[in-house]
This record gives sequence, structure tokens and C-alpha cells, in this order.
Amino acid sequence: MDRLPRGRHGLSPEFVARNQRERLIAGLTQALYEVGYQKTTVSLIGQKAAVSKSDFYKHFESKDDCFVAAYDDTIDQIREQVVIGCEMTGEEEWPYRVRNAIAALLELLSREPALASIALVEGLRAGRGIYDRYQAAVESFVGLLRDGAPQPHAGTEVPDATDEAVVGGIASLLGRRVLAGEAERLSELFPEILEFTLSAYLGAEEARRIVSAG
Amino acid sequence: MSAMRPELPREFVASHKRRRMMDAIAELTAEGGYEATKIADIVRRAAVARKTLYDNFDGKEDLFLSAIDTTVAEMRERVEAACTEAETAEGGIVAGLEAALDFVAEHPAASRMCMVEAISATPSSARLYDAAVRDFVELFRKSAPEGDDLPATIEESLVGGVAWILQLQIRRGEADQAPELLSELSQFVLSPYLGVGKVVDTGRRK
Repeated sequence: MDRLPRGRHGLSPEFVARNQRERLIAGLTQALYEVGYQKTTVSLIGQKAAVSKSDFYKHFESKDDCFVAAYDDTIDQIREQVVIGCEMTGEEEWPYRVRNAIAALLELLSREPALASIALVEGLRAGRGIYDRYQAAVESFVGLLRDGAPQPHAGTEVPDATDEAVVGGIASLLGRRVLAGEAERLSELFPEILEFTLSAYLGAEEARRIVSAG
Repeated sequence: MSAMRPELPREFVASHKRRRMMDAIAELTAEGGYEATKIADIVRRAAVARKTLYDNFDGKEDLFLSAIDTTVAEMRERVEAACTEAETAEGGIVAGLEAALDFVAEHPAASRMCMVEAISATPSSARLYDAAVRDFVELFRKSAPEGDDLPATIEESLVGGVAWILQLQIRRGEADQAPELLSELSQFVLSPYLGVGKVVDTGRRK
């Protein structure tokens, strides 16, 4: 029976039951989080995934190939979670959708720090190909944030760059915390990130009101 | 005609050569990336002997890191001077932002090296990038207007947001137009302090 070793962040049975390819992807993500890109070898990935080296090469050409797949997979998982957050509880109002999306994002990243690490830190350090993917991911979140955001009107014009700057700012803050070894505590940043995001559109006072209303 | 030429001071020549090598690696990494940049390309671009490069630097990475370090220090100095000269805190933030945007426009290759290439080139260059962001966050914190009970991480988010916009601009190959972002970015970074959509007088010199 193939089994994944229980690491620092014990993996759920559902997770273990996924197919080999998914396990390899998860194995790489976990290895990257624990030892960094350089020390993540195909053997270590296989070990984490309980998949033999020869089976590894049935799924991927190389570590880099697996890495790119893992990056895409991570971004898909994060986006899926954020979209669920946006649609949750039937909240129609934009500030509450933003609130739910940020809560969902931080909940996932704190629960799976290895995902936070590859998405925000290790992925970027690995090379230019990934940076394009990172940029595309940020852009897709920009679209989600912009959707339904308060429209500029006379006197309170929200600058065009705001959506991009807000998402880029959140990503940067989260990346810095992951680097500081605080990935598991990202959800503690929820009130601050929500206030930062809303205040760029609604002003600090209104943002604070929504944040303190929970 | 006498063959005599004015002799340039030795130190001047030496520092000029160092500068040329740092400029060369900035241009080459901006054009083709760090990996693809070879020592041979650098010495050719800088018009220095290979030996000169190794007399001054341990190798490609050392030169790269020195170039990043020097560029970040220059940018920081300009931004800090601009912040300090202004009469008000919000004026200081706008002036600092203006100095940063002007720097990017004037030094597109060096800016790309520090803000884009550094992140993925080597572990040490990534650390320099992180340290630079931390320094700019500190500078922002020191210079920002009094905030009323703002999140403790607000400066990190704002500086990260500005850096992201500049990275996009640089990656689009439009570093030269960075100064056009002054008004929008000023409003963005000052919105937690002054309110949304407050027209900031950027006092931009036309």
C-alpha cells in the first residue's frame, strides 16, 4: 500500500488516496517548503509521494516539469478557494464578498503553508517562466476584486491602478510573512488585510466599520 | 603633435571601470536574463579586460550583487532626500514616490535588474531584493503622515503594491513612462491617511 509519510503537516486520507501524479505534485510542494528548491530532488519527491523514481518519470520529464505543474495546481487550488469565498453565503454586496474571499484565501494558506510557500516565495525564486505564471495569477485575482468594486464617480475617483496595487500589495505582504516562517499564522492578518483592501475603495473609516462588524 | 594625453587619475579610471561593468551586467540581464549572461558578454559590453573584472569582483554573481546593491543604495538615497526635503508628510511621500518613478525611468535596465531579475536570479540576489523592500517599508513608515489607528501592516501592503505596479510597468518595457503613474500611485498610498480620491497636488515639474 502506497503511503505518504506523515510530515509536519499530516496529510489527510483523502489526500493520500489521490492518484500518483497528484501525489507527486503534492510531494514536490511539501519538499520545497521543507528544504527549498535546490535540495528538492526527484528522489525526495518520490519518497514524499511514495512513488518510485521510475514512476516519477512516467508523469514528468524532470523536476522542473513537475515544479511547473505543481505551481499551476497550487494557483488553481487557491483561486478555487477564493472563488468559493466570493460566492459563499449568497452575499451580494461587494465589501462582504471581498471579506469572504480574503478569509477563504488566508484560511487555505494557513492550513497548507506549503501552498503559500510555493505560490508566493519559492515559485518566484525558481525562474522567469514561473514569474509569468505568478503575474497571471495576480491578474486573475485583480479581475475578481474589480468585479463589483465601487465605481469611480465625481469627487471620489478610485485610481485605475488601485486593483492591481491592492492585490500586488497583499501578495507582497503574504510573501514576506511566509519568508519570515509565519505561513501558518497568515490568517491572523485577516483584519489588517481586509481593512487595507477596503480602505483603498471606501476610505479608512468605512473599512474599519465593516472589519469590526466581523 | 605631441603624443601626450592628459592623465586621468588612477582612482577615477578604476571606479569608472567598476561602474561600466555594473552597467553592463544590468543591461545584459535586462535583455536576456541572468542565466544567459556570460562573463565574455560583460567584458565586451563594458570594454574592460577579463582580468579587470576578476580584479574587482569574484565573478558574475559578485558583480551582479554589487550592481544591485549600488543601484538600490542610489535609489534609496534619492527617495530619502526627496522625502526629507518636503515640508509636509504627505508632500514627502509624493516627492519620494516621484523620485522613485524618475529613477526607474532614468535607469530602466538597472531597475529591472533590482526589481525583476534579482527575485529569481540567485538566492543571494533574492535576499537583496527582500532587504531592499524592507528598507523602503521602513522609510515609508518613517515618512508617512500620522495614521489614525491603521493596520500595523499598512506600510508593507502599500509599498508592496507600489513595487508590484512598477514591476508590471518594467516588465511591459515601459519603465520610461513610470513618472506618469505619479498621480495614481500618490492617491493609492495616501488613501489610508487622507481618504479615497483626495486630489493630491503632486506639484510635478512639467
